[in-house]
Amino acid sequence: MIKNYFKIALRNLWKDKTFTGLNILGLTVAFTVAILLSIYALFELSYDRFHKNVDSIYHIYASEQTPDGPGVSTAKPIPFADALQREVPGVEKITKYMGGNVLITHGNKELRMEAAYVDPDFFSIFSFPVIKGNKQHLIEDQSSIVITEKTAKILFGEENALGRTVNILQQGQQRPYTISSILEDIPAQSTMRFNLALNFKNQSDFVYADNIGNWEKSNHSVYLKLSEGVVPTQFEKATRDFTALHYKDDIKDFKRDGIQPDKNGQYIQQRLLGYKDIHFATEKNGNADTSRLYPFLILGIAFLVLFIASANFINMSIAKSAGRLREIGMRKTLGASKAQLFFQFWGESVLIYFMSALIGIVLANLLLGQFQTIFRTSAAFGNVISPSIVIAFFIGVMVITLISGGYPSLLMTKLSTIQSLKGKLEVTGKNRLRDGLLILQFGITILLISGTLVLWDQLEYMRNKDVGFNKEQVIAFPLNGKREDAQAIQLMRNELADTPGIVNITASNNILGLGKDGTSSTSAMGFDYKGRGVKTNILIVDHDYTETLDLEIIKGRSFSRDFKSDSLGLIINQAMADQLQEKDPLQTQIILFDSINYSVLGVVKDFNFQGFDKSIEPLTLFLNPKWNMRNVYVKVSGNNPLQSMSRIEQAWAKIEPNAEFLGSFLDENIDRTLTRERLMTTMIGSGSILAVILSCVGLFAMSLLVVTQRRKEIGIRKVVGASVSTITLLLTKEFLKLVLIAFLIATPIAWWFTSQWLQGYVYRIDLSVLTFLLAGGIVLVIAIATISTKTIGAATQNPVKSLRTE
Amino acid sequence: MLLELKNIFKWVNSGGNRVFLLKDINLQVEEGAFISIMGLSGSGKSTMLNVLGMLDTFDEGEYLFNEQPVHQLKEKHRSRLFKENMGFVFQAYHLIDELTVYENIETPLLYKKIKSSERKALVSDMLDRFNIVGKKDLFPAQLSGGQQQLVGVARALVSKPKLLLADEPTGNLNSKQGEEIMELFKQLNQEGVTIVQVTHSEKNAAYGSQIIELLDGRVISR
Ligand SMILES: Nc1ncnc2c1ncn2[C@@H]1O[C@H](COP(=O)(O)OP(=O)(O)O)[C@@H](O)[C@H]1O
Ligand SMILES: [Mg+2]
Repeated sequence: MIKNYFKIALRNLWKDKTFTGLNILGLTVAFTVAILLSIYALFELSYDRFHKNVDSIYHIYASEQTPDGPGVSTAKPIPFADALQREVPGVEKITKYMGGNVLITHGNKELRMEAAYVDPDFFSIFSFPVIKGNKQHLIEDQSSIVITEKTAKILFGEENALGRTVNILQQGQQRPYTISSILEDIPAQSTMRFNLALNFKNQSDFVYADNIGNWEKSNHSVYLKLSEGVVPTQFEKATRDFTALHYKDDIKDFKRDGIQPDKNGQYIQQRLLGYKDIHFATEKNGNADTSRLYPFLILGIAFLVLFIASANFINMSIAKSAGRLREIGMRKTLGASKAQLFFQFWGESVLIYFMSALIGIVLANLLLGQFQTIFRTSAAFGNVISPSIVIAFFIGVMVITLISGGYPSLLMTKLSTIQSLKGKLEVTGKNRLRDGLLILQFGITILLISGTLVLWDQLEYMRNKDVGFNKEQVIAFPLNGKREDAQAIQLMRNELADTPGIVNITASNNILGLGKDGTSSTSAMGFDYKGRGVKTNILIVDHDYTETLDLEIIKGRSFSRDFKSDSLGLIINQAMADQLQEKDPLQTQIILFDSINYSVLGVVKDFNFQGFDKSIEPLTLFLNPKWNMRNVYVKVSGNNPLQSMSRIEQAWAKIEPNAEFLGSFLDENIDRTLTRERLMTTMIGSGSILAVILSCVGLFAMSLLVVTQRRKEIGIRKVVGASVSTITLLLTKEFLKLVLIAFLIATPIAWWFTSQWLQGYVYRIDLSVLTFLLAGGIVLVIAIATISTKTIGAATQNPVKSLRTE
Repeated sequence: MLLELKNIFKWVNSGGNRVFLLKDINLQVEEGAFISIMGLSGSGKSTMLNVLGMLDTFDEGEYLFNEQPVHQLKEKHRSRLFKENMGFVFQAYHLIDELTVYENIETPLLYKKIKSSERKALVSDMLDRFNIVGKKDLFPAQLSGGQQQLVGVARALVSKPKLLLADEPTGNLNSKQGEEIMELFKQLNQEGVTIVQVTHSEKNAAYGSQIIELLDGRVISR
């Protein structure tokens, strides 16, 4: 029986090569893309899930009330973790965490690596399994270091790394550490990434040793595992006394400044962010806001793409089913039951679906590499696949086939034997379903296209926005800390002194945008000014900073080598000037660090020193060339900037032969901050291109069928004198109506979604009706082109021929 | 008695009026009978045959098959009765285009869940009997009308039905082919198969032992 079904299925599919081909093509493409997108989304959703305790691990942060509303602060003072565990019940384990770049040397190898400074409990809270060496007591003594397998390979190749010694540059000294354990490589879905881990106590003195018992200086993150049965919200409440005790000075200042407490009367509220949510968290009104919208959006696109292909399948199956009715009637007279017939026809769709799904899996595998490059992900089959996912995929495909194959089968098999033998499909509402599906398809397509256009507009807007500094002609690169920064910068200056194309060189502690090494940073501080608390971001700069970046000084002057006293001078931005509320900001004196008197030298026009989707916060520039200046900025002249780039690279190679050069233009750095937007645009964009193609495949098939079905009518109309254009219009109109309805339905939805999305940006485009009209127009033009290929052909046919064949 | 129709009425509603397709049909078919149904086009012959073959329902009256009241049987039971006892031959052959001659003949056996070896034997018997062994791997489109109808008959008979129902089996055939089919029917009837056929031709009707004439859904002579 099965064999018989199978045979007839294959023969039927073979007989109707056009439709089989269109169906398999559409479904295969849809499956390929849906699989890739699902892998991506599942990968995102599985972030950090590999930690066995993930449900009871939390990141503790604080919501702080400020004059501008509540804000989030994640940094904790050194005594915090121990005190919390001691004083607030419910903490099973707790660890400090501070990431950072270190210079590690072994023999003549010298590498910058990502280090995690943690407490020993870290390894029993998180699941980073040890594969070699000591499994129980990691980094408990301060001379041991834990590295990952990959790091071991980099440092020692195939040699045994366990027990070996490496040097790490700390506070200007090479300190030796013994490798005590080797960790399994950190899974791709880990938010925490490091090459090596050290005991927190090994941090530089200015981070750790100098601050033991000091509640004033916050510099690291704290993670904890709650004891079983402790409810996070209860725990948060239970910390209030703890906070009131240890932050009483801060709270006193808040009260003095007239800051409003939150609705529970708290000025500082400790909060827990579930570690499983960390990958999806953003700050919102002083709270961590968890949103898995993005991966679900991607899953949604995968689903929509499959839906469009399935709608094609349903439409084609129903349209073609009339041709199979006699067979059904015949089989009934031969003794087939409804169920048997249903399974036969459903089986045919299962066959098509599984064939497409299988080819889809193969294609997805082949395209995975490119997909990973384009979407900058390490998502792969390997790191998302699990028995439940495989079963879910299987069931998913079955359900889709049950609906898209089952429905047409049901329509066919429920007819009485006599009706089917007559070969007439008298199903009312058949065209309504077809039209409904086509409207949905085109609606989705228009939705995706307008989404893409809006995203694209916003992306371009952000890329081209005036950020207030020269991003086209400035190259930035990080120093490696091997030499004193000031010395390295001086050497750079000397090296590039008379080089043509090099205009200016400066440095600062923080990078603008996102550097090539993937880092970004900001520093901030608060102080009392005229009895008010004032908060500002700070930037420590070298000479020529404003000149190199073409920052506009709107009042006063920039730092100058001519005035020795400029090291006690400040340059502030407009936002800071507004905050100080002085008539003449240049008269402002600020006392900082207990007793040092700084004076404002100039006011710089606001520029985007932080993320480009944030409003510009107060900023203060300090001149301190001796400070840690990790980022060098070089302004180059407009002609042949690439040559200048390679000159800078050569100069750097002369100074630090073993170090990597990670230079990039600032506009690239800005682009890097827009990765998420660009990815989303690419994803939705490719989704919409696919939606267009698939919808048009369906439309093409439908127009093919309608033209065949109405051949006689067309012939008669022509005989009685209808022109080619009226007939083309007649045939085309029917479908264009559907596209129009789809446009009317989809546009408000697209408008709503995109305007919601734009709310998340401080600098955003205004939505324009034109964008949506353009989306509708694109779809309309493509639809007309698709239909016309068939309708014009039919309309120009010799009527005698079409009448004869009927 | 193989089957009996008692006061069968069938109608359709058209614009509030009942249009009768069958009116007060009474018919008794003995086992081994060979009945021909005649009548003008549209007189209800096919409708009556379909009712006999349980392919179509009726609105009033009784239908006994082997003493069982068909109109009261459950769908499942009725379809078993149908599967085990009926064979159909149509004017338009109604072969499945995508199956070969062999597979077409085999299909009813598949629905009866007959074992593969037995199936093979039964189909081979039929192929032998109708002299179409050489055509068994051809598709319907590759056969002449007469040959297709031969396959249709073979398929109807392969599951050894008690009752063969044929709706104008020679309607699409030339007279020589038609005669061959009729001879075949005669022979089958002699072997014990009960046959009810619809025909337009007096000559073909004469092969039967009883002729029933329909007009406007009513039996006018027997
Ligand atoms: N389901 C139906 N609905 C309406 N009219 C029907 C239906 N089935 C058959 N008829 C009509 O009943 C009459 C008898 O049809 P049929 O039995 O096919 O005639 P015959 O086979 O004798 O030519 C015809 O006029 C036909 O149009
Ligand atoms: Mg008839």
